[in-house]
Amino acid sequence: MKFQSLVTNEWIKIFSRVRTWVFIALPVLIVLGVAIYGKVTEDQSAKTNWKQELTEQNKGLKKEIAQAKKDKAPKMYRDSLESEYKQNEYAIKHEISPYETTSWKFMKDFAPMSSLLGLFVIVVASDIVAAEFAKGTVKMLLIRPYSRWKILLSKLLATLGFAFLLWIVLIVSTWLIGSVFYGFGGMDQPYLTDVNGVVHEKLISHYVLANMGLEFIEFAVLVALAFMISTLFYSSSVAIGVSMFVTFAGNILTTIFSNKPWAKYTLFPNMELTQYLDEGMQLIKDMSLSFSLGILAIYTAVFLVITFAVFQKRDVRA
Amino acid sequence: METGYTLELKQVTKQIKGKSIVDKLSFGVKKGEIFGLLGPNGAGKTTTIRMIVGLISITEGEILVNGLDIRKHYEKAMEQIGAIVENPQMYDYLTGYNNLMQYARIMPGVTKERINEVVKLVEMEYAIHKKVKTYSLGMRQRLGVAQALLHNPSLLILDEPTNGLDPQGMHDLRHYLRVLADQGTSVIVSSHILAEMELMCDRVAVIQNGKLVRIDDVTNVTDQADATVHFQVEGDVLKAKDILVEQLPDLPVAVEAKELVIMIQQPEAIGDINKRLVMAGFTVYGIQLKKKTLEERFLEMTGKGGGFE
Repeated sequence: MKFQSLVTNEWIKIFSRVRTWVFIALPVLIVLGVAIYGKVTEDQSAKTNWKQELTEQNKGLKKEIAQAKKDKAPKMYRDSLESEYKQNEYAIKHEISPYETTSWKFMKDFAPMSSLLGLFVIVVASDIVAAEFAKGTVKMLLIRPYSRWKILLSKLLATLGFAFLLWIVLIVSTWLIGSVFYGFGGMDQPYLTDVNGVVHEKLISHYVLANMGLEFIEFAVLVALAFMISTLFYSSSVAIGVSMFVTFAGNILTTIFSNKPWAKYTLFPNMELTQYLDEGMQLIKDMSLSFSLGILAIYTAVFLVITFAVFQKRDVRA
Repeated sequence: METGYTLELKQVTKQIKGKSIVDKLSFGVKKGEIFGLLGPNGAGKTTTIRMIVGLISITEGEILVNGLDIRKHYEKAMEQIGAIVENPQMYDYLTGYNNLMQYARIMPGVTKERINEVVKLVEMEYAIHKKVKTYSLGMRQRLGVAQALLHNPSLLILDEPTNGLDPQGMHDLRHYLRVLADQGTSVIVSSHILAEMELMCDRVAVIQNGKLVRIDDVTNVTDQADATVHFQVEGDVLKAKDILVEQLPDLPVAVEAKELVIMIQQPEAIGDINKRLVMAGFTVYGIQLKKKTLEERFLEMTGKGGGFE
């Protein structure tokens, strides 16, 4: 029968909530606010005298490196200083100003916004099953001529659709705002990154596009996780809590357990897909993008199998 | 498989943690019949309804909707059912109309005209475009009935439908259930309030502790010949009883609240007993014929069993 209508229904329910519109508007307002602030406080001298600026910076860095060597500071810290030093050197030599802002650079700067969007997606994903149980409306929904898995699938698709929309709105609005403030173009603007101690030139636009795709994959995994927990516990707060823990505390756990051989098979380090955009950023070595995608696919499949199996069988006494 | 029943339960059992909540329950609901599920709270009425609409699993037995086993043909069977399970919980943040649209979209063959027709039937036109969070319980109940009727189900299940309805609302509900039944819809109504059942149903199944106690036409359940006659006499009631028992050893007589309570089969016996009491020197100042109410009968059937609100 009309499976599409089930998805439409879920979509309507999502968009009938005030919070949904807040979730959509807030990131756009933040981007706009930061853009205005950045324009007002723009440092023109840094822009024109950037070479001088970088030379000054490198003088400081040189001292720091020497000091770090003397103190036998951790290798990671020394590497990061040296990497910064080399990148500055490269920038001066090849005339690549780090202060040059284009719409694409602007978009790259807003990449961390995805954590905020991730939070909103978690809230919607956690609520879409649990709220129906909390309010008792699930009874009205489940007595329709649809197998339970279809109803759950419609909710999953609606949530993914919402996540996708949220992401698209952020990307398009960031690009638009960036273009209005810093001009259209910048597709060919390079940025510098360090690959195994060698400075490389890469395109910002490639970074932004790759980042979009990888972040969306992370969203999808988060949706599956939040979905499973809210189905198992009928509680959106537990689901929100656990999913946020995975997003935000995951990094800390990864750092703590990074030397354990099993660490790379856990969910947390693999949730940071953007670490592969610039090589050498990983906490755990011998992991690759395809490895992480594989691990995420396995986790997601397990989450979904558990969710659907439990939802299909469970007695509803709400 | 044609059984002639819109709904048939065969030896249906629901066990939760080894305890039978519903125990080998069997009954059939005929086409165009209003069927009552009667029992105190916790008797298993709602559990039975939840099994019929597939909210909880069936431990043992079979449930057939128009001959379709709901476990094998779940979607086909559910197409034919409209239901309210416990309270009709709606999406508070949507209007009444948009709530109905939620269900209209996913049920077969529900047109805009049909929605308006149902809204009119439950007399909700005046508030249908207001958000449900502004509704009273009675209005929610009406909206609940409306969503259950949307797709012209052949089986309508209403769990405690009179909750929150005022006397006018109850009267209206009885009226449109009767209209639906006359059009061939089978209706199941559950309640723990007997007087409502008496007014609403054609047949009643009395359930207690998950078991079927009795199933009969509502008139048979209410008008059976166990009328009692209450004699109010001056003086020692116990002595009056002794005298009567002495003279008529087979007479079922008891003393309740200083009255003689006598089960009498023929009305002529009343005069005879009165004469005997007067002859024995008692002043009879009141004689009342009392039929048992459904409530009293029900308490009897369920062994004065409890949980009435």
